[in-house]
Amino acid sequence: MIRFSHINKRYPNGHEALKDVTFDIEAGEMVFLAGHSGAGKSTLFKLLTRIERPTSGQLFIDQQNITRLSDSKTPMLRREIGVIFQDHKLLMDRTVFDNVALPLIVIGMPHDEIKKRVRAALGKVGLSGKESQKPITLSGGEQQRVGIARAVINRPNILLADEPTGNLDEALSNEIIDIFADFNQVGVTVMIATHDLRQVERLNKRTLHLEQGELIGDYQRSPVSQGGDND
Amino acid sequence: MTSYFIRHLQVFFATLGDMARSPAATVNTVLIIAISMLLPCLLYVFVKSSESLSETWQGRPQISVFLQKDVDDSAAQLIFQEIQLHPDIELAEFVSPEQALEEFRLLSNSATYEQELAFLGSNPLPPSIVLMPNKAAARSAPLEALKNQLSKIEGIETIRLDLAWTERFSAILAVITRAGTLLSILLGLALVLIVGNTIKLLIHNRRDEIEISKLVGGTNSFVRRPFLYYGSALGFLGACTTLLLLLVTSGLIEDPLSTLASMYQQQSLLHKLTVQEAVFILLTGTLLGWLAARWSVALHLWRIRPQ
Repeated sequence: MIRFSHINKRYPNGHEALKDVTFDIEAGEMVFLAGHSGAGKSTLFKLLTRIERPTSGQLFIDQQNITRLSDSKTPMLRREIGVIFQDHKLLMDRTVFDNVALPLIVIGMPHDEIKKRVRAALGKVGLSGKESQKPITLSGGEQQRVGIARAVINRPNILLADEPTGNLDEALSNEIIDIFADFNQVGVTVMIATHDLRQVERLNKRTLHLEQGELIGDYQRSPVSQGGDND
Repeated sequence: MTSYFIRHLQVFFATLGDMARSPAATVNTVLIIAISMLLPCLLYVFVKSSESLSETWQGRPQISVFLQKDVDDSAAQLIFQEIQLHPDIELAEFVSPEQALEEFRLLSNSATYEQELAFLGSNPLPPSIVLMPNKAAARSAPLEALKNQLSKIEGIETIRLDLAWTERFSAILAVITRAGTLLSILLGLALVLIVGNTIKLLIHNRRDEIEISKLVGGTNSFVRRPFLYYGSALGFLGACTTLLLLLVTSGLIEDPLSTLASMYQQQSLLHKLTVQEAVFILLTGTLLGWLAARWSVALHLWRIRPQ
């Protein structure tokens, strides 16, 4: 589903954010992207959503080489990928409904259909009845859920989440990550960038480990190895 | 195709909503547009009205030929016939001394008329012929030639050409028209700059919205659309206000103007806007607003990229 092949990313200021990164994610996988801040997690997501371009290497999404994608095709790519941002990127002066509906408005869906889908999406993330509130009146965890509802509303095949549990306590973090696990259950490919190792260990999923732009680990934790860690 | 229309309708209503949310700024911009458009429109109405004035003069100079006072009736008729047959002349009217006196009586008030007539003793007016040259001859050079030819006829005292006044009048109109055209272009430019700047501020205020729309897959034309609608709507509302102001100013000026016109035995002079002209003004306003938005969007929108 997602294939990085010898990707390098150097920013104009000379910072090398990713160095020769190669990995392959199958459709329907759920993968954690671990590493300290500045390790290159956000850059990796920016390459996937074409906010940034790789300096060299090839990047495939769903068999399509997006390194050669033209600017005019970028919106189509972004419609296939749901993204949850660390800073939520919500419009604070609009209602929850407007925020969640945006990806559907962008593609010109009729209003009745939008209404149905928004209600369903808000139900899924546990925010039923908050349609007409402004995000500013919601708690951090609730705002994150609004972001999730927006990311999944267009039923994308890929879900990317950048530090979705950043400022949340453990219970809330668990809830948020479980929502992603639920989407993964129905076949969505999920990639979560986090430095929250508790979640990585709790879910026991494949983890890609980045450090200073290099992929230093790609491992599937098994209950056995987890037990070994505890020894 | 339906989704295309739905998208446009959604944006259209969203634009109206945005305008209603900041009424002070909207009214301000609309008024600025209206006033910049009003000035050329007023000039246009002025020129049109003046043109109708010179049309009632038929736009052609008159030639008054005064005969010598001692020419008798039959001789005067002979001169009249000779002039009538001249190929450059379209219309000629003989004015006998009695007719001239009657006209004089109509134009002056009766009391002074009696006194003046008593003072003069007899009718002092000579017979005269009023001529209108045909279109080909109604320019200064042929008119001078015509005047020379006429002056050779025996029994003519003086020939007066009304040329200078009408020429001056149409020259003044031409200057005003040219100046008005230049002014309209300048004001149109100013209007584009004003609306463009408004759109620029709007783009700046909606940075987040633009960025997020692009992140969730909004195309450039999707992101651009609300601003084009906004510019067009401002232009349209501005043009509507211009029409309203034109109506008000016309109403205010109508009364004194018709008083003035009645003094010159003229019908009302004021040019009334036709439906086509009103539609033209509305279209021009809308188009200028759209152009301004298009220009502003081209300058500023590409700078906003998701980070």
